[in-house]
Amino acid sequence: MTSPAVAGEAQRFVNREPELIARVIAGDRLAARELYDAHAPRVFRLAFRFTGDGELARELTQETFIRAFAQLGRFRGDSALSTWLHRVTISVVSNAMRKVKRFRAREADLDEAMMLTVESRRADPDLSDKLYRAIDELPEIYRVTLVMHDVEGYTHEEIANVLGVAEGTCKSRLSVARAQLREKLAPFAKEWLE
Amino acid sequence: MTHEDDRLPESLRSAARAYNDPPELSRSDLDAMWSAIEKDAFPRRFASPSAERSMSHVGRPRSDIRRWIGARNLLPLAAVLLLGVAIGRFALPRAVPATTIALRAPATDSVAVPEPYQNTTSRYLGQTAALLVALPGEVKAGRADDRFLGRAHDLLLTTRLLLDTPAAADPRFRMLLEDLELVLVQVVRLQSDQGRAELDLIRQALEQRDVLPRLRNAVADISADD
Repeated sequence: MTSPAVAGEAQRFVNREPELIARVIAGDRLAARELYDAHAPRVFRLAFRFTGDGELARELTQETFIRAFAQLGRFRGDSALSTWLHRVTISVVSNAMRKVKRFRAREADLDEAMMLTVESRRADPDLSDKLYRAIDELPEIYRVTLVMHDVEGYTHEEIANVLGVAEGTCKSRLSVARAQLREKLAPFAKEWLE
Repeated sequence: MTHEDDRLPESLRSAARAYNDPPELSRSDLDAMWSAIEKDAFPRRFASPSAERSMSHVGRPRSDIRRWIGARNLLPLAAVLLLGVAIGRFALPRAVPATTIALRAPATDSVAVPEPYQNTTSRYLGQTAALLVALPGEVKAGRADDRFLGRAHDLLLTTRLLLDTPAAADPRFRMLLEDLELVLVQVVRLQSDQGRAELDLIRQALEQRDVLPRLRNAVADISADD
């Protein structure tokens, strides 16, 4: 749980954000570094959740901030800066993951040709592995919603703001994601119900 | 049906929370990412003498030519440069005619920092003063640990950032920042086994450059402006 002192400090920072944003737009690196220090860990965390790769998550964090600083003039303050930053993060990550998936698909074809399939390396995955693979295989819009809600603990309102969709859409995507997971894990229902 | 009704069983929910569990970012990770961001997002606007120093390249992109020359070759060069700068600074008041000094010296003794930077600068100066005052005691008590050195590292980064802003336009303040940068580099490099010897070097640097009294004056000037 966040202590009152930490919460107070966080609130003071949020109050200073408009001033910092104005300074960044004017080209002030010191203000940019302050914003970066405050938001980078959460942006990295989100990028890592979607990529599962430290190096890639670092690159995407950098890309997120480069893009965010370039577009900061367009930030109108309708939502919290963190929400806007996470929207940029999701956009950067989604673009990157499309490329990564294409690359990995080609790589998997190669492995198959060489009789080194992913399955053979994971002969007997435990429940967690099965679950993670099932999450990986979810269509992007469902995976994003599920990871943000069930893994990272965002509320529907926050996810809706980040993704720019209605809260109802967000809830229905989460239901579909969970249903697909249940379906994929049905053969192992006994295991996860124990 | 609400989304709470179709929640996954607890075993799956708790397993899902470990999905792509992110590692904690280290300070060096954050600094390395910042270097890349800064290089791309903020083309250098204000020339800073500190940027040319080779005392440390933490948080700063290294130029191709430096990479080409190699760090080993740069060390003697850096030592000569620093010696030259130190001799130049100490010799300047005696060697340069009074008229020249009058032209170079600011109109008043006080430090002038632009208003948008005053809060940050005031906080930074206060924290730096506190760290430098506490330093001898921390080293003697063997408490100059990662946390303490981490604070010094943060202050070093802030020093360098400030050097790149209009806050460093005042020559007197810029000189103070440059001296603080050198001292903080030494503090960051403190090693517990050689703490005493290194502390003596830091103390000499502080005394020779009169850093602490200047720091206190700057804190007082900027606080008075607030």
